[in-house]
Amino acid sequence: MSQEYAVIGKSVPRKDGWDKVTGKAKYTGDLKFPNMLVGKILTSPHAHARILSIDTSEAEKLPGVKAVITHEDVPSLKYGISPARWDENIFCIDKVRFVGDKVAAVAALDEETVYKALKLIKVEYETLPAVFDPFEAMREDAPLVQEEYPRNINTEIHQNFGDVDKAMAEAYYVRTDRFKGQRTYQSPIEPHSAISIWDKDKLTIYSSTQSPHYFQYYIAREFGLPMGNVRVLKTHIGGGFGGKLEPTGLEFAGAVLSKLTGRPVRMFYDREDMFAHNRGRHAQFMELTTGVDKDGKILAVHANFVMDGGAYTSLGVASAYYAGALLTIPYEFDNYKFDMYRVNTNLPACGAQRGHGHPQPRFAFESHLDNIAKELGIDPVEIRLRNARKSNTTTPNEFKVETCALTEALEKARDLSGWREKKGKLPSGRGIGIGVGSFVSGAGYPIYRTDLPQASAVIKVNEDGSEATLYSGSVDIGQGSDTVLCQMAAEAMGYVYEKMRIVSADTELAPHDFGAYASRQTLMSGAAVKQAGEEIKTQLLAIAAPALGVRAEELDCREGIIFVKANPEINRTFGEAAREFFVKKGPLVGRGVYHVPKLGGKFKGAAVGTSPAYSFAAQVAEVEIDEETGEVKIAEVWDVHDCGKVINPALLHAQVHGAFYMGMGESVWEQVLFDAKGKIINANLAEYRLPTALDMPRLHSDLVDTVEPNGPWGVKEVGEGATTPVMGCISNAITDAIGVRIDSLPLSYEKVWRASKERKRNTSGE
Amino acid sequence: MREQPSNTGETGGTDRVRLSCVVNGEKVSALVEPHLTLLSFLRQELKLLGVKEGCGEGECGACTVIMNGNAVNSCLTLALEAEGARILTVEGLSNGGGLSALQEEFVKHDALQCGFCTPGMLMSARALLDRNPDPGTEEIKEAVAGNLCRCTGYYPILEAITAAAKREREGEQR
Amino acid sequence: MYLPDFEYYQPNSLAEACRLMAKFGPRARILAGGTDLLHKMKHGQLEPEVIVSLNGLERLREITYQKGVGVVIGARATHNDIAGSALLQEKYRSVCEAAHHMANNQIRNVGTLGGNIVNAVPSADLPPILIALGASVKLAGSQGRRVLPLEEFFTGVHSSVIEPDEILTEVIIPDQPSTGSTYIRFGLRRSGALAVVGAAVAVTMEGETCREARIALGAAAPVPMRARQAEAVLKNQVITPDLLEEAGVCAARECSPRSSIRGSEEYRRDLVRVLTRRALQKAIKEGHV
Repeated sequence: MSQEYAVIGKSVPRKDGWDKVTGKAKYTGDLKFPNMLVGKILTSPHAHARILSIDTSEAEKLPGVKAVITHEDVPSLKYGISPARWDENIFCIDKVRFVGDKVAAVAALDEETVYKALKLIKVEYETLPAVFDPFEAMREDAPLVQEEYPRNINTEIHQNFGDVDKAMAEAYYVRTDRFKGQRTYQSPIEPHSAISIWDKDKLTIYSSTQSPHYFQYYIAREFGLPMGNVRVLKTHIGGGFGGKLEPTGLEFAGAVLSKLTGRPVRMFYDREDMFAHNRGRHAQFMELTTGVDKDGKILAVHANFVMDGGAYTSLGVASAYYAGALLTIPYEFDNYKFDMYRVNTNLPACGAQRGHGHPQPRFAFESHLDNIAKELGIDPVEIRLRNARKSNTTTPNEFKVETCALTEALEKARDLSGWREKKGKLPSGRGIGIGVGSFVSGAGYPIYRTDLPQASAVIKVNEDGSEATLYSGSVDIGQGSDTVLCQMAAEAMGYVYEKMRIVSADTELAPHDFGAYASRQTLMSGAAVKQAGEEIKTQLLAIAAPALGVRAEELDCREGIIFVKANPEINRTFGEAAREFFVKKGPLVGRGVYHVPKLGGKFKGAAVGTSPAYSFAAQVAEVEIDEETGEVKIAEVWDVHDCGKVINPALLHAQVHGAFYMGMGESVWEQVLFDAKGKIINANLAEYRLPTALDMPRLHSDLVDTVEPNGPWGVKEVGEGATTPVMGCISNAITDAIGVRIDSLPLSYEKVWRASKERKRNTSGE
Repeated sequence: MREQPSNTGETGGTDRVRLSCVVNGEKVSALVEPHLTLLSFLRQELKLLGVKEGCGEGECGACTVIMNGNAVNSCLTLALEAEGARILTVEGLSNGGGLSALQEEFVKHDALQCGFCTPGMLMSARALLDRNPDPGTEEIKEAVAGNLCRCTGYYPILEAITAAAKREREGEQR
Repeated sequence: MYLPDFEYYQPNSLAEACRLMAKFGPRARILAGGTDLLHKMKHGQLEPEVIVSLNGLERLREITYQKGVGVVIGARATHNDIAGSALLQEKYRSVCEAAHHMANNQIRNVGTLGGNIVNAVPSADLPPILIALGASVKLAGSQGRRVLPLEEFFTGVHSSVIEPDEILTEVIIPDQPSTGSTYIRFGLRRSGALAVVGAAVAVTMEGETCREARIALGAAAPVPMRARQAEAVLKNQVITPDLLEEAGVCAARECSPRSSIRGSEEYRRDLVRVLTRRALQKAIKEGHV
């Protein structure tokens, strides 16, 4: 064989490409059902207020209005994506906790009527003192956002591994730095949307969701239905990035409105609603203390963090644990202490955004490490090489890392970027910086406690063998998992990619999978798909063998041809054998399932951060700064990734580009801003500035090879990990350019201007 | 509702007004309410669902269509402003059953991921190439800078447009 | 998003448009592009009962040179009409550049000169360069027409001297002795960002000596403002780098920016200094660019 693999490792065209360039691709908001109503949620204008009364009578009288609901019409059972802290109601009962909290909903014949009806709902509020700062919120006299969390502390973490105090005492140099990460928002281009159809005892919900499974689980629980009576599915979804992982309220409210009216109800958010619902990245306050020896080898780290969680828990418990857990991955050290308070405030809830809790701590640590390197006179690449994790090692918090090519990635990024020629030698206003990143290839444990497998898959070969369909609960949110999983299926079956079809992200038609989050699908869904494909192949070779006069073990199948391994000239087609199988034995079906082996330690929170495999990346960026105005231009970027075996190189590099883009936005341009009363003042795409095509630099995406034993064919993740090095990398490049460190994200033009000015003032004063 | 030819003076009002235009090469005539946006007209009346609403306020570009040769945000255009206009949406890009060179290059270069910005992005690109068959990278960036894409980081899009321009210059039919 | 109801008129003559505006008064708004008007209406910031569209008035899109008058730009000319106008490219490329670098392509295809002026937003990009070039605006109303310097048009944020029955029909850039002009805007990303500060200058140079300079600033005060003290610094002076910096410092001192989501007062003031100096350098060196 000329190549090891026939289908994987190739940049085959996306399964959804045709539909998406012709406008045929339907998103939830494009679906039409007979008699469908449209609905919308009324939200709170106050950050903290008691609800005195709600009068829906005027809204109900408006012609075209079919139903108006409040907390009185829906279950009062609290929900939340984090099982540890169920603290959300479908509609607020006693009080509202942030500007945008859900109060009521309307279903009507058309959007115009919906907007008019919302204005007619009269809610009487008694405003309460509100708190918007996590440090103020922790004071004894602060108003309580949620009564059950004293001092508004929603999550408190204290972990201690090794002997940090001893190591610090013995260190040659100990440094403390403080950093701040800002609140950002995922900003998918498709607004959230859900269509609920409650028909007799069956509730069907089409939603722009990253996880039909979690939606199904929580929706069934909320309404007391067996999971089988709830079907959640998606069509195409216009991006998620973590913001579409948990039920939004559109599903709950839509379900009730559908039940009341007996009609399908399409619920939707406007852009402003999306910002208010939020669940974006937490603002995070990060104090890092690190002790190193005189060569810059890290001896101990203490991470002391506070997170502003907003009004509800959302995925915040996991975000809080992730913030500290993954700090131990890229660099080797034995002593580690992590303290965290996630605090409730009267702001929209924060959740998981690409990279979850990790990108900001990574920014902080990469900046901190550069500060240490500078103090010790060590080159930033060199200090990272001295500390880089190696394969087959275990972190102090008990994560096993089987493959890690960070050293190779650092060396390659250094060489590709011309680091040695540039560092310290760039003209005024230019700077170069390095950052590293890493991430889990799927979380070791699902979000709620269950013994369900992480992923499963079924492949059914068409009766005449001319096509095969993969059924997978995985979710393609644009990253291309449908394509990659079809490649994996075809490879395992010995089949052809072009003949693969996929039915995914449908709790009724596809077998269980937890969905698109934690960068899990290529490894986890892929493992199930591989097993299903191999089961097809085994059955097929058994049926094909007699006709070829050999035993099944002597056969293999590749690209739709079954052949004798010792003599490939003796062969027959996959299709022909598949047909024979069907005639003799019925449907040719393969099944696969993937369970994560038991991972992690026994301490509190040990589960968060566990994964079968970890990706690694080294990234170098060059920036140009206009010191007089503070304008930042990212000039060029080199990213080198260790993400295991690559199934589809084009899609992989596409993930790196997209992840970099998002990280770049967070580094310099993006921040959710509030007024003094807790209302977002830039809930739009004009003032919440996603970078445009004109802002994007040339990015060179490269790879180092590893084969991860815990992933099918050796795969690891790329989608989220590629965001993690960016902010630190850009921070270090800007610091190199202007000669001074800005410790809070985003590294906005104004902050760069101010820092440059202050540096000039200080240097001229010397 | 009474039907009127158009509101040229005293005859104006909130009643429905006759709108005639050419959409994707076909003559269209409909009675529309004055406050209907071109976006809503295309999606609701003509069922051209490839036209997407990402923000509704002219900032994301997902609703971009070509009106009389110019890329415009259909969310910030009244349907009635399209009276007599030629409109092209993503549904009008393919020739017959096949993909145009521009569409093909988008697929080939993975110039899309979630695909929600793609129809608008394609229309901005189409308007550019109609005006300038040989655009430089900066010109391409400027042409699509009003189309926000959260997935790709834009470079694959720039490459796809460049490749499509080349094919079109070499005489391939759009 | 949802656009509230309104009555819609699309007159086919200016006289008819004026008559409609006179009839409906403050209840009506002119639609000239609509990128700002419809945006505000969707957010409930404006609730006109009547919309009078200028879409039928094609002549208001023309950009012409009238001898003895100057360059006349119709108020319905879009930003891209202006950016691409061969006449303006030849005479005042600075105006083309100002139009080209605002908003994004889709907005530039629809948004108009008239809208950009009448909205009276401090960060608007066209007023500063037009003021620097000494432009006038022509207003047509039911009582007749009047021409006034653009500089005198604005009275505050979202307010101007225009009467409810008046329509801005054209902008006139007079023939002038200036040898160079330019507009530099500073936005927080490279497309689709309002100007944090904009600085426009027009200079009349004789060799190394600046006979006259007109400096107009955007987003530096509630209305586009002339930096007259900075202009005085330059008048009849031989240009040196220090003098240009002094003019910048002067402009920064005399402007009155406010702190906003896009920048602090202090930041904006310093940007005025830098942009004024850079704009002067560019206009002196490169002409009308």
